[in-house]
Formats: sequence, C-alpha cells, structure tokens
Amino acid sequence: MKKTREMKREIDINRRTFLKGAAAGLAGAMLPLDKADASFWEAFFQKHFVEMNDAEKQKVIQRLEKEYEQKYKKAIKVGLEKPIPGVLFGYGLDLSRCIGCRRCEYACVDENNQSKDPQIHWITVLRFKKGEKWVDLEESEKYYNPPLVPEPDYFYMPVQCQQCENPPCVRSCPTQATWKEPDGIVVVDYNWCIGCRYCMAACPYGARRFNWGEPGRKSEEINPNTHYLGNRPRYKGVVEKCTFCIQRTRNGRYPACVEACPVGARKFGNLLDPDSEIRYAIEHKRVFRLKEDLNTNPKFYYFFAYGV
Amino acid sequence: MAHIIGNFFIALRQVYKGTKGYYVWVGSLLLLVLLGVSAYLDQVNRGLIVTAMRDQVSWGFYISNFTFLVGVAAAAVLLVIPAYLYNFKPIKEIVLFGELLAITAITMCILFIMVDMGQPLRVWHILPIIGAMHFPASLLAWDVVVLNGYLAINTVVAFYVLYRLSIGKEYKMSVIGPLILLSIPWAVSIHTVTAFLYNGLSARPYWNASILAPRFLASAFCSGPALMLILFQIIRKLSEVEIDNRAIFKIAELIAYAMGLNLFFLGAEVFKEFYSGSIHSFPIQYLYFGLHGKTALVPWIWFATGANITAFFLFLFPKTRQNFTTLNMACVLVICGVYIEKGMGLVIPGFVPDTLGEIYEYSPSKPEVLVAVGIWAAGALLYTMLLKFAIPIYTGKLRFGIKREGIIAKNIMSKRVLSVTPETPVEEVSKLLISKNISGVPVVDKENKVIGVISESDIIFNEMRREPQLAEKVGDLVMPNMKGDERGPGVHAGDIMTSPAVTADEDTHLKELHRLIMQKKIKRVIVVNEAGHPLGVVSRADILRVLGS
Repeated sequence: MKKTREMKREIDINRRTFLKGAAAGLAGAMLPLDKADASFWEAFFQKHFVEMNDAEKQKVIQRLEKEYEQKYKKAIKVGLEKPIPGVLFGYGLDLSRCIGCRRCEYACVDENNQSKDPQIHWITVLRFKKGEKWVDLEESEKYYNPPLVPEPDYFYMPVQCQQCENPPCVRSCPTQATWKEPDGIVVVDYNWCIGCRYCMAACPYGARRFNWGEPGRKSEEINPNTHYLGNRPRYKGVVEKCTFCIQRTRNGRYPACVEACPVGARKFGNLLDPDSEIRYAIEHKRVFRLKEDLNTNPKFYYFFAYGV
Repeated sequence: MAHIIGNFFIALRQVYKGTKGYYVWVGSLLLLVLLGVSAYLDQVNRGLIVTAMRDQVSWGFYISNFTFLVGVAAAAVLLVIPAYLYNFKPIKEIVLFGELLAITAITMCILFIMVDMGQPLRVWHILPIIGAMHFPASLLAWDVVVLNGYLAINTVVAFYVLYRLSIGKEYKMSVIGPLILLSIPWAVSIHTVTAFLYNGLSARPYWNASILAPRFLASAFCSGPALMLILFQIIRKLSEVEIDNRAIFKIAELIAYAMGLNLFFLGAEVFKEFYSGSIHSFPIQYLYFGLHGKTALVPWIWFATGANITAFFLFLFPKTRQNFTTLNMACVLVICGVYIEKGMGLVIPGFVPDTLGEIYEYSPSKPEVLVAVGIWAAGALLYTMLLKFAIPIYTGKLRFGIKREGIIAKNIMSKRVLSVTPETPVEEVSKLLISKNISGVPVVDKENKVIGVISESDIIFNEMRREPQLAEKVGDLVMPNMKGDERGPGVHAGDIMTSPAVTADEDTHLKELHRLIMQKKIKRVIVVNEAGHPLGVVSRADILRVLGS
C-alpha cells in the first residue's frame, strides 16, 4: 500500500500548491499588484480592534497612516481617542426649524471622507407634504430638488444613524465588526467588516451605507483629521455609517452637521449632563423618536420647538 | 486506513471515465464555471457595484439563490425519514442520492454567500476562536454553524454508507444511526435558522412574520424533492441504477401534502397582510400588485403562484402524479414556482419599499446572473462527480475487500520497468535479479516490445541441465515451461527465456490476473500497453499483498 500512500502524498502536494495558488490568485485579484506586499498580510492578519492592546493599535495606526499617505500623497492622522468617562452622546433635531437645505448632508460628506464617486451620504433629508400622513415614510421624497427651500407646502425630516441604545445592527453582525461604544456611538471596524450587509437589512433607519465600489475621493478633498472608528478612508466592500463625528465629539467639538445647520435645528450634547442643551430639549419639548414601536431606543430625538 | 484512502482514489478515478456525452456535459459545465469565475473576478476587482444591488436593496439575486438552495438541502430529510426510520425499501435504496444532493446544495449555498461578501478574504473573521463569531446573538453566525454542521453530517453519512457498500457490507445502524437521527432535526434547523435570519429583523415587516419558518419548510419540501424526482429519472436512464417507481410516486405524494401546506401558509399570510391593510402590507402589495406604478416583480410572482397551484393538483391526483409526463411537468412547475417565490419573491420585497420608504426596483445585473450561472454549473458538476464516484460502488461494479473485481493490473503492478534484451548474457541477468531483489524481468526486442520473460527459474533450470538427473526430479516443480534444448554456460537471455510472455493490459481485473497465473502456472504477468511496451509486472507477491490487505 506504499503506492497509495505515495499517490496520496502527491495529490496532497498538488492540492496544497493548487490552494496556495488559488489563494494568491484571489488575493492578487483583490488588491492591485503594487499593494500585495507585507502590509497586505499585516492587514490580513490584523486582530479585532477590541482585542488589540494599545501597542498593537499603535502599530496598526502607523501602517494605516503610511498606506493613506501613499495613496493620498498627504499626511492623514488616524486618531484613537477613547470615550470620555461619564459621557453619553445624544442628538436633538428640531423639525419646526429644519428648512430642508441639506447643508448638514454636505457638511457631513466634507468632514467624514465619504466616497464622492460613487456618492455616499450618511444623512438623508426626507420631504413630506404638509397635511399628509407622515408616519408613512413611503409618502416621503428623498430626491426633492426645488430652486429654493423651504417650500411652503412641505416640511423636512433629516434621518441619520439614530445611535440606538438597543441597536439591531450590532446584534445582527456575525463578526462583531460593529459595536456600541461606552459613549453610545455605534461604530464599525472597517478592517474587520466582511461586507455581508446583514446590518443593513437589520437597520430600521436606512442609516448604513456600503462601499459598492472603490471609494473615490480626491486627495485635496480628504479631511486629514480622522479617527480609526470614524472618518478614516474606507475600503471597497465594507459598511460605514454616521458616528456623531467621533473624531470631533471625543475632542469636545460639535458634529459637523450641528455646526453647518443655518437655522439651529440641530442640538447635540451629553445625555448624562443635566445642564446640557440636549437634556433641556428632552425635558422641555415634545420629543419623539423614530419608529419607537421597534424598541430600538434611539439617542436621536426629534422635537418641535415651536408650532408651525 | 491507508487502503481505505487508496480505494477512495481508485473510486475517484471513475470521474474521468465516461462516454463522449459525459465529456461534453462536463466540458460545457466547466465552460460555464469559467464564465462565472471570470465574472466573479471582475466583481472582485471593481466591487459589488457591478451588481444591481444598492443601499436600498442590499441583498439580491445571490442571497435569493442561497435561500432557495438551503431548502433543497433541507429536503433530503424527506427521504431520510421514510428510508431509515420506516425502512421503506424503495426509498432506502435511493436515499444516498438525496444525501449527495444535500452536500451539493450546501456547497452551492456557501458559494453564494461567498460571492455576496464585500471582503471574502476576511471570511475567517466569522469563525469561532480565530475570528470573532458573534454567537449566539447573530443569526448569521447560527447559519454558519448549522449549514456547516449539516454539510459535515451528510458527508459522513453518505461516505460511510458508500464505504460499507464498497466492501460488500451493510452499514451498521449502531454506528451511523445516531448521526442519521441527528440529521433529521438538523435539516429542519438549517431552514428554520435561515428563515429566522430574515424573520428576526423588526426593521423589515415583510419578513418579520412568524409564518416565515413554517412556509420555508413547506416550500422546501416541495422544491427539493421535485428536483430529486427529475434527477432520479436521469440517473435511472443514464446508469444501471434501478429506481423503483414506487419510490418516485411516494415522493410525489409527499410533495402534494407539502405543497398543500405551503399554499395554506401563503394564504394565511396573504389574508393577514391584505385584510388588516396596515402600512406593513406595502411590501406584499408591491410584490403582487406593484406600488406607485413600480411592478417589476408582479408578473413573476403571479407566474409562481399559478405554477405552484397547478403543480399542487398535478401532484395531488394519483392519476397525474403516476404519469411521467404530468409528473415531470409538475416537478418543473414546482421548482420554478418555489425558486421565484422564496428567492427573489422573498428577498426583494423585504427591501421594497426600503426602511425610509424609497422604492428601488431591483433586477439582477448581467455579471450577477453570470456568477450565479457559474455557481449552478459548479453545483451540477459537483453532483455529477459525486454520482460518478458513488454509482459504481452503489451498483456493485466496484467492490473492495474479499471480492475485488474493482482492482485492475494498473493499481497493483510494480512499476519498475526493468528489461533485458535477448542478447544480454545470462550472468548479467542473474546479477540484475539479485541486485534488484526481483525474480524475473521481461525481455524486449529493439523496439522495446516484450517478446519473453526470463526468470530465476529459467536460469536455475539452465544450470541444472548439467545434471540431468536432478533436473528430471525437480524440473516440473520449478519450471513447468522448460525447453528441451540443452544449453551450456555463456548463453544469452534470448536462448533460455520463456516465450511468448504472458501479458495483460493495464485494465485487466485482478480476477483475470489471478486466473492467468494459476492456469498457466506462471509467477508473473507482464503488463504492456497497446504497442506491447512493458509498463510493469504483476507478480504473485503483488496479488498476495492485495488479498492480504
């Protein structure tokens, strides 16, 4: 039976070389050739973000910053700012003020390095006709395009990630590539996401976006101040979403959309701080949250500061 | 263990033997697979943007096919129960082909998931220990567990049964019984978990209905067996496998009940959605009637509904299900009906309208279709190969162990093709035999054609010629084919060789080799190719080695 053993060995070897070849071929096809070097394998074997210690995270950051610099020909800082103890971020949106100008939407794109070709927006502004039932989102219009806003017969409702306390997307992710941080922000590790898009099916707010193609953004449009879990440049084939501008808010700044709003419809703050603006809105205005029947418990509050 | 692996490869060799039609079939499948692979490589390069999927409809044709195929895989249980639990003989005889189909379907499921992934190289992230499997929270993690478990169970059961068959023995229920028992709830679980994958999402009211898992199972028990019925008829026609009509009609009857249940569940769903008429009924409205003038799925779903109802009646009446024309028609209708209903008909309305009310009409792009065709071709290829492997064992053509009809000269011959020419001096032949520790070599002419054999007995006998008395005494024992001429020292191989040599070709069965050696009272058979060139030697020792293993 020596012969069969030899035969087996030969076949094993053939299979191994074949598998190796196939893996290399697939890997080669996944990445342009110039990138298929050591850093490819480093990226391939990168651990889950939560399981890395600080030194390992630093190493990853160095690799990423180098990669980004090669790609965009400019220095890009990838931050690792941790959640601030005693902070739970919450958001308020005054529907009575919103004029549907979409400045928040574009400020978000400027800030968060989304792909411009194909276009990815984290904020969707919906337009409703006044007097129509509007719990029925299907009656809304996302592609409205009038010469001037606000239009007299319409009102507007911006939607973005609601940063649920009970997020269905996090529960659904098969690889724990998305999770809720202690400050309440739901984040994605773009180096761990396998791109199965189950979270997109699970999200009741249409807040998650997928990189269907290679993200396209010019070097001069890149915002170099980034966070690992936020606005650093993404890859083809991974999911991304609003992070309440984690790179800003963990450094004590407002999210870009809050700053951009020309009518002050957007409020942001620490839900655990009784003196915060967001707490004031929740306690003094008639607030509601989107699709509350689903018990996702969003930290995104809609309210009407005054009647229209 | 080594001989089991050896036998496995002998059986595996069957896959590249076949008629012209077989090669054409395999060749065309390979071509389609290649087409799919090239479409997939382009998708890997450019990203999933080559598909028609977008953020609004983030799963499409791939996941639809996946869902349908999980049902096909689960349906093997419909054969397993009557075969092993009720010992219904006609089905017991064919359950193996159902299990092989399950193996194929699960493999295709895994392929459809892989091509849907944005980062397929990171697939290991989903594994426990080395990855970060989100178990038990994520239903997708459950699906990974149950699908791979089901693949493993069916592979073990099918190959164990094949192994026992190959050595001419019944399988032992004490060994395989527990696994078979386990496979029954496991089959139910793969489809239940896949249904729960959709079912558990409160964001998608169309899927968020508890009827989903029962509906999944009922429709799986229609489409899977219908596919099997067609395959069984093809197998019966193209091979020597006998499939009892009673098995076919019994399965057809079971499909009728499953389809009855499926239609009932569908009716319950349709009633609830349309009668209550909440905004949660928009997806089903979109599916059956269209929404805001968007009607992409409407003709498809009505065709599917019509096909399923027609098939139900064709399966229900004994007269139509026992007539092969109407039976096959019903099978095709049910396969198409369920393929639409729980493929695109299930996945797409989950996303339309999307969670913010947008209606994005999805229909698969050309690359998506090509990749899917490639996977279906790969599945057909895999099933063909599995059958090609299994059928000779199943029909008894291939047996290992006591009966060894399956073993041929090629498998057991010694491949050291040493040879001598007629001009080689006998002394040199002796030295060669001693140094290589062999008992005989073929003698070849200038064209490397075997013309005789020279063995140690020939040489010894030649020596004995010098002592004729001794030769007379032992000659018959040692060398039956002795020649009459007296030879002295200094002779050549050609002078004392046994000629012509007893030869056989590579495909000669063990039994025949055995017969030759016994009948001709020889010690070795020279294996030659068509041109008569020596390829190897089968000696008595080689045969003993096989019989003893």
